[in-house]
Amino acid sequence: MDLITGILSTAFLAGGVLALAALGEVLAERVGVVNLGVEGLMALGAITGIATVVAYPSPTLGFLAALGVGFLFGCLFALATVTWRANQILCGLALTLIGTGLAATVGKAYSGTPSPAVFGRVEIPLLVDIPVIGRAFFAQNVLVYLIFIILPVGLHLLMFRTRHGLNLRAVGENPAAADAAGIAVQRIRFWYVAAGAALAAGAGAYLTLAFVPSWSEGVVAGRGWIAVALVIFAGYRPLNAVLAALLFGVITALGFVGQARNWPIAPAFLSMLPYLGTIGFIIVPVIAWHRMRQWMAAPAALGEPYFRDVR
Amino acid sequence: MIDPSELSRRRFMQLGLNVGAAAGASMLLPGLVRPARAALPGISEEEAVIAFGHVGPITDEGWTWSHHQGLEAVKAAYPKAKYLEVESIPYSADATRTFRQFVSEGANILFSTSNYGDFFYDVANRAPDTAFLECDGRTLGDNLGWYYVAHWWPTFVVGVAAGALSKTGKLGYVASFPVPSVYSSTNAFLMGARTVNPNATLQAITINSWFDPQAATQAGTALIDNGCDFLFGIMDEAGYLQVAEQRGVWAAMWNTDIRRYGPNAYVSSIIVDFKQYYVEQVKARLEGKWAPAGTILKMGAGVDRDAWGAKVPADVAAKADAVRKDILDGKFNPFTGPIKDSTGAVRVKDGEAVDDAWLYNWDWSIEGVTGVGS
Repeated sequence: MDLITGILSTAFLAGGVLALAALGEVLAERVGVVNLGVEGLMALGAITGIATVVAYPSPTLGFLAALGVGFLFGCLFALATVTWRANQILCGLALTLIGTGLAATVGKAYSGTPSPAVFGRVEIPLLVDIPVIGRAFFAQNVLVYLIFIILPVGLHLLMFRTRHGLNLRAVGENPAAADAAGIAVQRIRFWYVAAGAALAAGAGAYLTLAFVPSWSEGVVAGRGWIAVALVIFAGYRPLNAVLAALLFGVITALGFVGQARNWPIAPAFLSMLPYLGTIGFIIVPVIAWHRMRQWMAAPAALGEPYFRDVR
Repeated sequence: MIDPSELSRRRFMQLGLNVGAAAGASMLLPGLVRPARAALPGISEEEAVIAFGHVGPITDEGWTWSHHQGLEAVKAAYPKAKYLEVESIPYSADATRTFRQFVSEGANILFSTSNYGDFFYDVANRAPDTAFLECDGRTLGDNLGWYYVAHWWPTFVVGVAAGALSKTGKLGYVASFPVPSVYSSTNAFLMGARTVNPNATLQAITINSWFDPQAATQAGTALIDNGCDFLFGIMDEAGYLQVAEQRGVWAAMWNTDIRRYGPNAYVSSIIVDFKQYYVEQVKARLEGKWAPAGTILKMGAGVDRDAWGAKVPADVAAKADAVRKDILDGKFNPFTGPIKDSTGAVRVKDGEAVDDAWLYNWDWSIEGVTGVGS
């Protein structure tokens, strides 16, 4: 495998975690709810995934179980932030603390043990023979295809090409107007927040069932926060989010390839790359996207609970 | 207090002399500064409290698991004693807090399974009645000793097999930190490989952790992408073995037999076994015979290569085992000069043989090793 194929292959694999978590966050933020619990949800998903395959060696079942646990905690979060209109930032932080703590406690028995069943590679015939990209992208596990093709395209079509998508965006932009137009604001917010949380937990399961693949405390390593930053960078758009995650994957891969090829850069600096990249992800939107704010702006009602009586 | 404005030259000189004399005395006569201590008094099994502070989780099936087996062996020998065990202690002030907690719970003997340095010594200095033992430590005190394994011997043996098995001659290494354990490991491994393939080289990736499955996995992938067809490392878990299995290259591991995570890739492992050492130390402590010492467990008594992997050809295994036997019989010391460092300068002169104490403190890469330190 040559250099570029190697980097891209790792980039797809590493970026997939962030892409899935970011897609979940896009769902929540598009309906106007900031979910800072991604880090905790990913930890919960990661431990659910591995605990399930230890009990029953089916990675698909592990992934579905993680989605279920994420959905459950998403419902709790939505109950607090949407139904009871609690502060979204504080609830998100609480969810992160609960998730990482609970996962660490449950995960004690699984620490360091490799996952007994993982998502294997599925090569797509014909496409895999495309030079450079073929081996990098079309010889990955099923989740990578789901995360990089099916989900983003599906969500993009749903959000920008359907009536329902218009409604859900309206809920994030101006809930009062949406309410007046007869859209069930609270119901849409609740279910999309829960669905977004499910995807975030799915990203955690991707870590333990496809990427690492084993559980250790701190396996999420701040990726939840990076996913939140990615969503801002991606202008709250699913296709952009996936591309941004891929870019991030390339940065991560460069850190290791740089060491393997003995680039004259200090290893400490190469290990720093993902975090420097995150800082870049936060700065770029402020400077560059300003002119493109029509397309890249945050939903207008992001972070604001909706009270019908103050309409 | 001394007021600097009134400090005459004469007074200043006097001060300097006093400080100098005190420093000299403490260097030359440590016994005068701190009274020398006889062996710690013995203690009955029922009253004994034995503490273990681990660097990783005991479920890692590697380093920490091996130390936990040691604790189990002590427990089997002294079932009535009280045991304290804490996992995944970070290299920070949290370590000091944990060790202090052990002492306040009455620990009579305290093992730390990694080198926590000052975090450990701070506690040891203030608890003179507790015996402290630090794995991979280098400091001796009145109540402080250290222990480690001479892993460079079996590593050299596995290196011989690697030299025979690698087709590209490019060996990959997943390293933790640029510390002596890693230098002696990378160097011994490449020296072994070069007895078979003189052109072999070793490329390391440093991941700044002993236990980070995801970094180890990515490092392994990057090394294989770069042409390495034999992975070795010094990790507490099986991460890169799984990568090697998937990609169809060889891998050698550390600590325990984990071949089931990569049955085709598995070559061998640097197996560690602290059971006997731990039982001996606790026995000495209970009998009142414990005295601080530095111990390096030899090949065959605490550290060894694992049984060869299923796919390792018999002639390769035989070749490596012949080297192992020569070392065990004392007929062969591979660590004999000339040994050149990575700049090409001769650091160990022709014909000069170095010993375990020297190898334990190896802190430079030999020629052909890249990626450890800089």
